[in-house]
Amino acid sequence: MNLPHTGATDTARQSSSSANPEALVDEHGDCLYRYAVMRVRHPEVAEDLVQETLLAAVRTQTSFRGTSSERSWLYGILKNKICDHFRKRAREVSYTDLEFLEDEMSHKFIDQGWNHDLGPAEWKPEAQAALDRKEFWETFRSCLDKLPPRVADVFILREREDMDTAQICDALRISQHNLWVMLHRARMALRECLELNWFERKSTMNRETDEQRR
Amino acid sequence: MSSVDKSSASPENPSLLTGRNWLERLLISLITKRTPKCREVVRLLSQSMDVKLPIAMRIKLRFHYLMCAWCQRYQKQLLALRKISSALPEHVDDCCSEILPDSSKERLKQALRERKPE
Repeated sequence: MNLPHTGATDTARQSSSSANPEALVDEHGDCLYRYAVMRVRHPEVAEDLVQETLLAAVRTQTSFRGTSSERSWLYGILKNKICDHFRKRAREVSYTDLEFLEDEMSHKFIDQGWNHDLGPAEWKPEAQAALDRKEFWETFRSCLDKLPPRVADVFILREREDMDTAQICDALRISQHNLWVMLHRARMALRECLELNWFERKSTMNRETDEQRR
Repeated sequence: MSSVDKSSASPENPSLLTGRNWLERLLISLITKRTPKCREVVRLLSQSMDVKLPIAMRIKLRFHYLMCAWCQRYQKQLLALRKISSALPEHVDDCCSEILPDSSKERLKQALRERKPE
């Protein structure tokens, strides 16, 4: 905030929203909201986070120097707010619902190894090809939504935000062992869900209805 | 053994013992004894996404793959899952269609009006 680098020229270079903070809401509100919902999964919480982000943005606007786009600057603030949110929540709830999937997955293995009918199937077409499909991301999201919230939190922090395990344990106040158990179950469940709902969906591929891209 | 016998070897459904000669069967039984069971392997594979496993364990896993195409596939899919997850930020608009309700936008603007920059 105490950057010497401010002045009329910089301010002028910033987008119109500098002059009118309320324009931030119209310009970026929906995007920030979506980004937040994706992570915290509660609309009300997401809305609060967007509000905190915008307030922080307005407060520190002088430190925005137009080097990155306004939106990625806002995303950066939002990301910190989301981390804070997880930290705060970790204090309020205990991360204990580990019985998740215990029974669901045990049938996949018989004494020798994988139950032959239930082992992982080949992913066709390859995952890479799916990344450009809007429907794939809808499937991915619905799979993520099926995880118990805390397990999904852990997965997202690890695989999306690329936090290392020590950071996550610290932020969520869980033991390393619990973290591994949760990650393992999250991966197992997501893998399974994607396989069933996307990769083995070949036969029902043509039931896709809305192709409209935003 | 009955569950092994009824399956046929194919990439879709890899089998342990069908269509193998005695030497291969011997190797498989050795590997089976010396490497963790699949249930344990998938747990270790998940762990290997977060920490580097000891070298001895990594070697064991390699051997395990020799006879278990499923675990190997599982490992590849965990990597794919990571790739997918890290691509998520660019695709937020694809998977989520939520928009802020107008009432919320008004509320946000109100909050911004009340809190002007210092």
